[in-house]
Amino acid sequence: MNPISRGFKNAFRNKIRTLSIVIILGLSMGLALSMLIANKAVTNKINTVKASVGNTITISPAGFSGFSSVNNSLTTAQLSSVSKLKYITSVDESLTDRLTTIGSSEPTFPGAGASSAATSNNQTSLTSPVTINFGGGGGGGGHFFINGGSSLPTNFSPPITIVGTNNPTQINSENLTIVSGKTINGTLDTNDALISQKMATKNNLKVGSTFTAYSSTMTVNGIFTSSSSTQTSSNSVIVALPTEQRLSGQSSDVTAAIANVDSLDDLNSATNEIKNQLGSSADVVSSVTEANNTVAPLNSVKSISVYSLIGAIIAGGVIILLTMVMIVRERTREIGVIKAIGGSNNRIAVQFMSEAVTLTLIGAIIGILLGAIAGNPITKLLVSNTSTSTSLSPSSRFGGGGGGFAGGGAGGHFISGGHGVFGFARDNITNIHSAVGWSILIYGLASALIIAIIGSGAVSYFISKIRPAEVLRSE
Amino acid sequence: MLKVTNLKKNFKSGDVIVAAVNGVSLTIKDGQFASIVGRSGSGKTTLLSLLGALDKPTSGEISVDDIDITKLHDRELIKYRCDRIGFVFQGYNLVPNLTALENVMLPMEFAGTAKNERKARAQKLLDQVGLKLDKQDRTPTRLSGGEQQRVAIARALANHPKVILADEPTGNLDSQTGELIFDLLHDLAKSENTTIIVVTHDLAIAGKTDKVFSLKDGKLTK
Repeated sequence: MNPISRGFKNAFRNKIRTLSIVIILGLSMGLALSMLIANKAVTNKINTVKASVGNTITISPAGFSGFSSVNNSLTTAQLSSVSKLKYITSVDESLTDRLTTIGSSEPTFPGAGASSAATSNNQTSLTSPVTINFGGGGGGGGHFFINGGSSLPTNFSPPITIVGTNNPTQINSENLTIVSGKTINGTLDTNDALISQKMATKNNLKVGSTFTAYSSTMTVNGIFTSSSSTQTSSNSVIVALPTEQRLSGQSSDVTAAIANVDSLDDLNSATNEIKNQLGSSADVVSSVTEANNTVAPLNSVKSISVYSLIGAIIAGGVIILLTMVMIVRERTREIGVIKAIGGSNNRIAVQFMSEAVTLTLIGAIIGILLGAIAGNPITKLLVSNTSTSTSLSPSSRFGGGGGGFAGGGAGGHFISGGHGVFGFARDNITNIHSAVGWSILIYGLASALIIAIIGSGAVSYFISKIRPAEVLRSE
Repeated sequence: MLKVTNLKKNFKSGDVIVAAVNGVSLTIKDGQFASIVGRSGSGKTTLLSLLGALDKPTSGEISVDDIDITKLHDRELIKYRCDRIGFVFQGYNLVPNLTALENVMLPMEFAGTAKNERKARAQKLLDQVGLKLDKQDRTPTRLSGGEQQRVAIARALANHPKVILADEPTGNLDSQTGELIFDLLHDLAKSENTTIIVVTHDLAIAGKTDKVFSLKDGKLTK
């Protein structure tokens, strides 16, 4: 029997104590691994979000939120000057508006007057395919919610978003796939439109069918699905930018634009160039800034997980350190005898280190099991709590402003879901799934060894201080 | 030959310096069975610790086969204890979770003896001290006091030591078992040509040894 197998055997000398120690160590290591799992999941999410960052700069009217009036828009002339700036390769412009269903009534709100059927020109024959979530809650994901707790009229249909764009390949940063028909030319003023598959199903429309918007007859040129099929994209109609400007009477107005930059390296320079060009009339935010704002809550979770991980490892180290100190003090006589019969300090230290490693490895197995079970729920809890407490909305106010509606006659009936360039990423930021992979297992075992080394390191010192003569004298 | 010259060991007790061993000189020939007698606190165990290189003297020399062990470094002292000295303690001091056989094999592992060889020798030694085969795989708690002391003696003999130092080896045993253990040590001293030094306050046992040293207040009186 060598020192290592003796140490292994000694680990089970006092079974009740061993059980207690490995359970405490297991809890400590389980927490450490859960934090590691959370850290890895959050890091992956951050990397995914940052990897999705294009060389783009979002330009929106200053203070713009969701939908806006004409007075608060950019103009095609302004954006034309932007497209000529250094580093800018192209500018995707869009004008977004909302259409109410003909015959649909809006709900009443305190101080907003009586409910009445929508009477303005902003009407359509289409019915929205989305459902409404009542009460409070987050505004993300294109859901609508009532701000004030009013009841809805029976013939209410949520407003439909109509987006005029010179680049009809995307909506709210989601790539579109034409599943039927063909796309439209975003620069030609025609009454052709693209509608979502859900919208087509809801309204029994197919390619070539017609519907009305702004009292004009529109033709379905294509039916699309978006990359993530959010309710915002499902609730949208896409037309060419000049068409929307003509139909809505907002000639030359643009509510959002995305400037494409030649390379990521020039993003900051290009952002400054646009800011200088547009001055205070526009909010100019680069995709990197958007991404950083979007992942800010995740960075908090990452920091928390790192600190907790370090804390749990230190706690594990202290537990095993105190345990080993207790064991060494308890076996002082035995160590003295082993020294008396020719055992060296190193050999005895290896024996105790083996005992510490045995205890921590058993603790690690328990910890890995606990980590595997608790890792995902803890990650979701951390992300959920941090996301709620840090309020994600400010960074995502810019851009398309796809969901819901605000403003209008009654003023602020609905709060916008606020989809922008990073609206989609923001909405999915809490959708994190963590998993226990081989790397986690290896990290778990490695941290067990670190804990064992920390814990048994001081033991060597105590062992070297034990004098065999004292053992003989104490008899 | 074991030769001790003017050996002193002082301890500090508060502000007072206590001379536990005070100028002891003695000579013990190879294969002799010697005893050190004296009252409690006379310095017997301290002297035994110094002879076994468990402690360093304040001054003086301990020469074993013309090597002064007081001048050896720590690493050399470990080797000296491992190769040249065997200890038998009053409380047996066997490792509790090792079997009798494993306890006897332990010093041989420290000496670097091959596993097969140390197992064979441990079995032979246990057989020699009278521990039956069926008890060799028992842990100390499942052995009687006398049997544990037999295992301790077998452990002390494991590395063919030059000297066996026994501190009150019969102190925890009844008189009949004590006598058996004493006879065992005596026989081994003769058969293995091992020098045995026994610390005891039992004058009857001391009277049976080849040489008796009497210690009082750290000094030899006889």
